[in-house]
Amino acid sequence: MSLFSLQDIRFDVPGRRLIDGLSLEIAAGQVTALIGRNGSGKSTLLKLITGQHVPSSGQILFEGRPLADWPRRDLARALAYLPQVTPPTEGMQLDELVQLGRYPWRGALGRMRAEDHAQISEALRLCGVETLRHRLVDTLSGGERQRGWIAMMIAQGARTLLLDEPISALDVAHQVEVLGLVRRMCRERGLSAVIVLHDVNMAARFCDHVVALGEGRCLLDAPVDALMTPEALARIYGVEMTVGASAHPFALPL
Amino acid sequence: MTRLILWAPLAGLLALGLWGLAAVQQLPLADWPALPYDAAGMRLEQILLAFGTMPRGMVALLVGAALGLAGALMQAVLRNPLADPTTLGLQAGAQLALVAATLLAPGLLAFGRGPVALAGAALATGTVLALAARRGFAPVTVTISGMLVGLLCAAIATALTLSRGEYLLSLVIWNGGALTQQDWSGAAILAAVLLPALALALLMARPLLLLSLGGEGARALGLPAMPLRLAALSVAVVLSATVAAEVGLVGFVGLAAPAIARRLGARTIPQRLLLATLAGALLLSLTDSALMLLAAAGGPVLPSGALTGLIGGPLLIALLPRLRATVPPETEAGDRPAPRARHPGRVLLVLAVLLPVLSLATLMAGRGPGGWGLLDPALRETFLPLRATALLASLAAGALLAGSGAILQKLTANPLAAPEVLGVTGGASLGYAAAIFALPSPGALELALGAGGGAALALLALSAYALRAEMAPARLLLAGLGIGALSSAVLAAIMASGDMRAWAVLGWLSGSASRATPLGAAALTVLALLLAAGGMLAGRWLQILPLGGAVAGALGVPVAGVRLALILGAGLATGAASVLVGPVSFIGLMAPHIARSLGLKRPRDFLAGAMLTGALLMGLAAFGARSLAYPYDLPLGLFATLIGAPWLFAALMRRT
Repeated sequence: MSLFSLQDIRFDVPGRRLIDGLSLEIAAGQVTALIGRNGSGKSTLLKLITGQHVPSSGQILFEGRPLADWPRRDLARALAYLPQVTPPTEGMQLDELVQLGRYPWRGALGRMRAEDHAQISEALRLCGVETLRHRLVDTLSGGERQRGWIAMMIAQGARTLLLDEPISALDVAHQVEVLGLVRRMCRERGLSAVIVLHDVNMAARFCDHVVALGEGRCLLDAPVDALMTPEALARIYGVEMTVGASAHPFALPL
Repeated sequence: MTRLILWAPLAGLLALGLWGLAAVQQLPLADWPALPYDAAGMRLEQILLAFGTMPRGMVALLVGAALGLAGALMQAVLRNPLADPTTLGLQAGAQLALVAATLLAPGLLAFGRGPVALAGAALATGTVLALAARRGFAPVTVTISGMLVGLLCAAIATALTLSRGEYLLSLVIWNGGALTQQDWSGAAILAAVLLPALALALLMARPLLLLSLGGEGARALGLPAMPLRLAALSVAVVLSATVAAEVGLVGFVGLAAPAIARRLGARTIPQRLLLATLAGALLLSLTDSALMLLAAAGGPVLPSGALTGLIGGPLLIALLPRLRATVPPETEAGDRPAPRARHPGRVLLVLAVLLPVLSLATLMAGRGPGGWGLLDPALRETFLPLRATALLASLAAGALLAGSGAILQKLTANPLAAPEVLGVTGGASLGYAAAIFALPSPGALELALGAGGGAALALLALSAYALRAEMAPARLLLAGLGIGALSSAVLAAIMASGDMRAWAVLGWLSGSASRATPLGAAALTVLALLLAAGGMLAGRWLQILPLGGAVAGALGVPVAGVRLALILGAGLATGAASVLVGPVSFIGLMAPHIARSLGLKRPRDFLAGAMLTGALLMGLAAFGARSLAYPYDLPLGLFATLIGAPWLFAALMRRT
């Protein structure tokens, strides 16, 4: 069964159609990259499949069930989302941020049990930020903060991670670190991830599958190898690129 | 801009037509004096027209233009759509200087009110800028400092007004911004200031555009942010100080005009500056002409400045949904957060111990018929129940206001959110005034119902709006400010009407605990405990909501419902507190700030600390209000501000 199933989705804002008749299947257990030029509808699509936006027409199924039918709490247990710009967290410690991930399970009043604390510690450990747990989130470096937020998503216990440009403000070492972390989570724990990315090389290196959008339509929906051809890249970005290979394929603009 | 080409001439014609109608009502066009005007050869009616109505029309245009320009400049500099000349504490500074000079040194007024008001305005602004300069003129700091200075000045001025009420009727009218003129000198002075200021502002347009990238972005492009901010703010200050000196407090034009300009599609900074100037001029002119017509038709004579809120407030609320995403007051590098307390529990414990100790002290000691000292055992039976009732009501009201401020600040992730910013106390004041004026001899119950009903109505309006606009916090604050401005405009008009019942409203506005009944005090205490309990239960929401709707929704929080519930809770708490002790709500702004600077950061610590601090502040305020002018009660609000504001100043200075 596919993770997400989109059937003829349209999404309009006054004066513009951002998503235009999109039908798409996103498979479970994979890291799927969502790429495309600026304004191609990537972030909009991500907001549609998190349920933040409701499509103007068409239907989105998540794990076989219409997104609108999911109770909010159940959806949060199944689906974790990282916004493009993580909000400021005034005076919040990292472990407190990660603990927010337990909200879908314990609600506003439920006590945190031993298993919750175990999950939180596990998430901190998996993301390599356990030594930072008592630091204020706002004092962390960009890469550390991003890993902290991903730890919150892990603690949420969701089997699907949705990330909106998680590496856009990071240096290459932190980019590798963050995407490597997401990929490792998917491999080791059988999670699925959908990542909005700008960097085709990072997409090729860390993702299994790629969905490319252009003007609200699907330009490419294929395993990631199919992306790394000059023809595909020219169709997506409108720029002539050359594709080379060392350990992994890479693409450079001509 | 196409809309502008349609609307600007239309509004201009309307303003001219309205003024002409008012002028013709006064004197038929055929009798108008010929140019040049020479008073010697005119009849009385002609003199009134040529040296009263005509310069008044001009002054309305000039004052509106000056305030519109000042507001546009401040909003460009502070990158904060809530900024306006009042935000820098400038008008309140001028008001305080005038009140103080009238009472304490009338000789200073020999050269007219202008220099005194200017000095007061400059002093207040200087204080604000001195505070802000230590932190690189970061927008949030300037706004907070300005609001604090303004609150302090206004509280002192109100106390002086109340203590010597009979002298100050003229000041009340001045406060309302009466545009009445006796000659052309006011118009000349205003024009002489406005034109060079406009030229300077336009010269600064391009640097200001760079500044809109933020201090660092501007510096990177080779623009030193600090001198530019200082220069632009100085122009705005001179403009608004001149207005304050010439005609008094004219509220809201500085806030509404730039908003109108943006709404009309002013995109670039020069467009905004020019359009805001034009919009301000037309807005005030329309208001003033309408008031002249009203007076000519036998209606009451009302000050225009106060009444701009009547147009401006609802207009702003109507404009909001279409206002492009506003820049929230954001934290810059200069606004480094206060350190987080290692042991928040200990801080809370200290506060919790201080509260009963202080309560006992103010119960037993104080100023009685025999002077300062412990309460005479013989008098205990008479005095203790009275004091205990007043104290309990004060503590509970302080906790309620502080708790509601803390909740609103978490809810909107905005350190400037406070009950009075949301217009709830404004609604309560209006309801109270309505009860006083509508009922022949209202008792305590009728007054309480009036104030509570007003608060509830304001809250309902706000909630309805908030749900529709999906609760973008900056918009919510602006909508609340609109309600607040509306109510203060109505109240100012009531004050200026000279009705004796107005003094009852003014007395209530500054708050007094001694009116509380035992039942009322008990009810307030129960409410405060309920709010504390509810806040503790909502602790996780208060932690998640500041992260924004997207994150909160992704975590499964029912965002709309939770926000509505918290707003209603905070609003009811504010309304209940202000029913009994008046809308002394800067407690709701100060107490959470103090809690934050004590290092209480986790939502539950923060809320508990804010409520305890609010109770402490209000307890101290009630003690001071009761004792200092024994046997008379002084305004509770004054003492709350006097106690809390210095602490905040210290916190602002220390954090550099």
